[in-house]
Amino acid sequence: MTDHPQAPPAPQPRQTYLASAGTALPGDPVDNAALAKALGVNEEWIEVFIGTKTRHFARDLATGTVRWSLADLCAQAAERALAAGGTDPSEIEFIVLGTATPDTLMPATVNHVADRLGLDHVPTFQLQSGCAGAVQALSVARTMVASGEHRTGLVIGGDVCSKHLDLQRDLSSAAPSDLVNFVLFGDGAGAAVITDEPRGAGVALRRTLNRFTGLGRAPGQVIEWFGLADRHDDRQAVTEDYKAIEEAVPVMAVEILWELLDDLEWSADRLDYLLPPQLSGRMTRRITEQLDVPGAREISCVADTGNNGNALPFLQLEQLLTRMSAGERALAVAIESSKWIKAGFALEKI
Amino acid sequence: MERIAIVGIDCRFPGAPGTGAYWDLLMRSGDGVGPVPAQRWNAAEFHSPAGEAGHSNTTQGGFIDEPDAFDNEFFTVSPREAAAMDPQQRLLLQCAWRAVEDAGLAPQRLAGTATGVYVGIMGNEWAQVHLTDYPHVTAQAGSGNGYCMTANRISYHLDLKGPSLAVDTACSSSLVAVHLAANALLSGECDYALACGVNVAVTPALSIFYTQAGLSAPDGRCKPFSAEADGIGRGEGVGAVLLCRLSDAVERGLPVYAVIRGTAVNQDGRSNGLTAPNRWAQQDVLAAAYRRAGVAPADVAFTEGHGTGTALGDMMEVKALAHHHKGRGKPMALGSVKGNLGHTEGAAGIAGLIKVALSLHHRTVPASRFAAKENPALRLKEAGLRLLKAPLRLPAGPTLAGLSSFGMGGTNAHAVLESAPPRAARPEPAARPGPAGLGVPVLTLTAPTADALRRNLLTQADALAARRVPAGPLSWTSHRTKTGHRYRFAVPARDTGELAALLRDAATDDAVLARFAQAPAGRPRLAFLFTGQGSQYPAMTAGLYRESALYRHFFDEADAALLPHTGHSVRDLVLAGDEAVNRTAEAQPALFAVGYALGRSLLELGAAPAAVLGHSVGEYAAACLAGVFPLEAAARLIAARGALMQRLPEGGGMLAVLAGHDEVAGFAAEEPEVSIAVVNGPKATVLSGDSGALMRVGKRLTDHRIRTRPLNVSHAFHSALMDPMLEPFAEIAREVGGGVPRIPLYSTLRGRLLADDEPMDAAYWTDHVRRPVLFADAAGRLFDDGPTHAVEAGPRPVLAALARKLGPPVSGTRPAFVLPVRGPESGAEDLAEALAALYRGGLDPDWDAAAAPGDRVPQRLAPYAFATAHRYWTRNTAHLTAPAAPAPQAAAPAPAPTAAPPGVLVLERAEESEPVWAAALEAVGQVGGYETGELAPHLRLYEDLGFDSVMVMELKTRLDELLPGTGGLTVQDLLPRLATLGDLVAFLRECNPQGRQTAAGSGWTPKERTA
Repeated sequence: MTDHPQAPPAPQPRQTYLASAGTALPGDPVDNAALAKALGVNEEWIEVFIGTKTRHFARDLATGTVRWSLADLCAQAAERALAAGGTDPSEIEFIVLGTATPDTLMPATVNHVADRLGLDHVPTFQLQSGCAGAVQALSVARTMVASGEHRTGLVIGGDVCSKHLDLQRDLSSAAPSDLVNFVLFGDGAGAAVITDEPRGAGVALRRTLNRFTGLGRAPGQVIEWFGLADRHDDRQAVTEDYKAIEEAVPVMAVEILWELLDDLEWSADRLDYLLPPQLSGRMTRRITEQLDVPGAREISCVADTGNNGNALPFLQLEQLLTRMSAGERALAVAIESSKWIKAGFALEKI
Repeated sequence: MERIAIVGIDCRFPGAPGTGAYWDLLMRSGDGVGPVPAQRWNAAEFHSPAGEAGHSNTTQGGFIDEPDAFDNEFFTVSPREAAAMDPQQRLLLQCAWRAVEDAGLAPQRLAGTATGVYVGIMGNEWAQVHLTDYPHVTAQAGSGNGYCMTANRISYHLDLKGPSLAVDTACSSSLVAVHLAANALLSGECDYALACGVNVAVTPALSIFYTQAGLSAPDGRCKPFSAEADGIGRGEGVGAVLLCRLSDAVERGLPVYAVIRGTAVNQDGRSNGLTAPNRWAQQDVLAAAYRRAGVAPADVAFTEGHGTGTALGDMMEVKALAHHHKGRGKPMALGSVKGNLGHTEGAAGIAGLIKVALSLHHRTVPASRFAAKENPALRLKEAGLRLLKAPLRLPAGPTLAGLSSFGMGGTNAHAVLESAPPRAARPEPAARPGPAGLGVPVLTLTAPTADALRRNLLTQADALAARRVPAGPLSWTSHRTKTGHRYRFAVPARDTGELAALLRDAATDDAVLARFAQAPAGRPRLAFLFTGQGSQYPAMTAGLYRESALYRHFFDEADAALLPHTGHSVRDLVLAGDEAVNRTAEAQPALFAVGYALGRSLLELGAAPAAVLGHSVGEYAAACLAGVFPLEAAARLIAARGALMQRLPEGGGMLAVLAGHDEVAGFAAEEPEVSIAVVNGPKATVLSGDSGALMRVGKRLTDHRIRTRPLNVSHAFHSALMDPMLEPFAEIAREVGGGVPRIPLYSTLRGRLLADDEPMDAAYWTDHVRRPVLFADAAGRLFDDGPTHAVEAGPRPVLAALARKLGPPVSGTRPAFVLPVRGPESGAEDLAEALAALYRGGLDPDWDAAAAPGDRVPQRLAPYAFATAHRYWTRNTAHLTAPAAPAPQAAAPAPAPTAAPPGVLVLERAEESEPVWAAALEAVGQVGGYETGELAPHLRLYEDLGFDSVMVMELKTRLDELLPGTGGLTVQDLLPRLATLGDLVAFLRECNPQGRQTAAGSGWTPKERTA
């Protein structure tokens, strides 16, 4: 089951559409040679085990200086999304942002984004979530439009993972589970305009799926945050259980795909595009093989952008919207391994 | 038709050591299939990819872990007998025990009842190995084998008197067992039934059979209804469910997972082959089950199929289902657990039943493994079916589910299940007349040995840490379920989180364990000691009154009885913290109320005294509880006593003297206005009388270096100064009357046990005012009679301290002192700890009275954790050719758990001089930090040698250096060949022609060795 809006029997929930998408990646791409040099790790190891070629960082790799905040990137992506769909900022009635790495705990970054976009007196939401946050944001936005209460809104996802890119650390003897956190991630943001009428790209958002499935399961990923009392703790800021992720994520991805297909009564043969989960170049290849929908064209970005969390579905979406033609269907699958959240959405171009 | 409730479940399946783990495996579409463990048989020896005669085409299967572990001590089975027992018998015993516990029942409670045991089983491999070893067939080997014994052993060890039988209908055995169990319940043949299934593979016989019959999947995995389906993989498992009629389950307040609405069994008769599946017979058995359940097929939301993943089997099954489901609106969801476990044969039906029950319970049906690639030839959509490619969330309200299990010889079974009705899924709190509620719950746990207790404390601590359960229902369930063993653990449980930490502490720290656990020798004998005047203080027991509904009830009751005589609420005065409680007129009724309420609370909790004693005023509560007079009468008399004494002129006093009666008597004799009022101990006496006279005696005592202390009292109790009140008091006492105590009462007036002809009448109570309190004598006699526990019922412990100074009893030891109220800060926790102490000491309280009414709801606690230290397995592992001489003993206990028996993992070493082998050893040794002697070809790089991707990079570099001839390895090439050290070397040899030449004929890679 997908999260149908809990609307009263009448009037019928309104159909929702994505009008446009926009993204923002900070600075120039950083390739494996540059990253290997900066971190003192093996370049071949990155290529073989991570399979990511380039990524972007909001922080200068040489000096460590912060050049873009999450709010900067999100605002930039939002502006591009608005421009791409020919939407006037004044039409925006709400903003939903999904991120795991807000600039500050307060104010919520979404409010800085509104500020930069020149929006005032609009409802804003920020969802604290990892790779599923973008889909959760879409799901909330879809409900808001479907309810009939709002007509046009902005959905944003973004992450600045380089906050944890400690260039001072000696990684020569780091374990792979630690090392991977330095080479897997990247920074970026993406946005989409959601409306109640088919304009711009005119792609109908048929379903969103957002489901916690982690009852009794140890988290696959933990990102700590530190306060005054525990800032000197020797905890690893980012930890991942790669073994669990490698085992569980492909299985979950297949289930999400089929749940959406079955729910929509779509046949896999008639699927035109597949937006698989973007963990890393290597994992995404593996998952796509298992999803096994050879008829659908894959849209992936992680090998070029690195895993920049909540920006990923928008990076995929941006590519998709330029390619989709009328009557075509697309399915996106996202998995947040933190507490095992299944997410996905289905699109159909009118 | 009456429905059958599934109230308890336990199971073990490949990759899932318990029910919770089984559900986890299903929900993450986990794979329980792996290589044949070396302990079973040498898979390589029997492996032939082409399926030659006498061989199997697979080395994989679904095997449970530790099939050799058995807690024989728990079931008091000797090691010799345990070693001879078919592991299927051993596993079933443990599983049955845990399934009963899961229902929230102590298995001992079923002892002697008409509980049936129905076991589905089709594997008899243990017997085939051991009963053909004729020189070693012992008495134990006889009872250790045979289908019947699997069921009969459960009946024996659990003392179950209902039908007890094993069923073999091949792969449908355990669903047929469920069918028989359900019918027996419906016909009233039994009131509970354990339906079980078991399958343990000891020999490769069936793997060979499946291969020879063309039914065996080369990868050992069933792929139900999948385009990739290529046959059966064998699986093991053991499962048990406790069943009863739904109406009984509701009446008994047992939580219900799901209900069985109807079952049916048939045969395909003389069909198109003895072993071929038959569509028409399957169609009929479905129809019969639907009919019996009274459901329309279109209302069935999902079905757990037989789904072996053979082309013909899947096709026949879908066709039979299609007959009933074709054309329905919403297609029926279909899946099979065989995708996760393999075909568990005799246990297949129970594996399916448990999956369906858990699905209905959790309201989610797990995805079916391998369903994503559905077999198009099955035309499922046209059949009104769809495969469970993702978990299916079930909507609220009743849901129907089907379950099929088909036997190879043509005996088919189908069951229709339904979600439990809301009241059965979450039972209403058990009702109990009368007041209840200790205020703080007590968690209890028992085990036959201290080690078992530690192990089970840890199990419960882990379960609690993983999922919070409210402490009240948790504790209440623990009393019902975790009872009956010698070692008793009990602890007040205010908060689940704290409790988990404490359980862990107790399991790991013997000092903590000693505080909360005991192994009582027998039933406890309790003595209640009621505290007298002087122990009162403002707001006494206010915390207990606030927290404990039970205490509140009886304190209110006493207050109501006193009210007509005191004219105001003693309760309100006490709880308000009024200093007036120290006035005699208030102190006496207030202490009576406290003593009465504590005593009655304990009685209600099932802690009945074998003897009572009250110190002076305390004797009123003691007598009232002993049935000397009813509460109203006691209240009237104690109120009058306090009031009359209050009215006496002030001027008297009391003096505590640190000396014995005889010594003090000498001094007192010189002052006629002073008398001995109390004898508390060998060196504790109290004088009472005129203040001036007391001062004089006091001075003389001090001169003789005898320490004294004036007591803060308003009057000279138990002295001649009381004389003016005696007559008016006696008048009321005569009206009140008083009989002989019905509980042995040690009188502080007489200093001994009252005889059967000594009523506590007006004369007694009048004397009691005037005469000294002979506590030391009364308590001494009481302790001589050997109570195990002395419970002090008063607002703070006074008598316990006095009693400790008395000499030792004539025989035995002094009782343990139990203090339900420890002082002004006391609340319900101290009362709970007192009850816990009595429980540890052997008392079986009425826990229903201890639980708050809303807390009497069963929770599913983690089942009993059996010991795994003792291992029993065969020495006669199967070989392609029979061994020349059988092992001297059929089976023997292995001293310690081992991954595999020694010998199996010892592989021949390659020649040291072989360069690829040497290079690989050196490189792996350097990177992983191993001595080359520790390395062997079968070791797995990641799992056994702890390699990770960084080490792989390093390994590549080392190999490049050591084997320049390989001409530059790439990691991409290396990665797929790194499963074992043997794989690595095989790969390196391919890359290194020189190495291949040298290694030719050395024959040590696993593949070559078996060829």
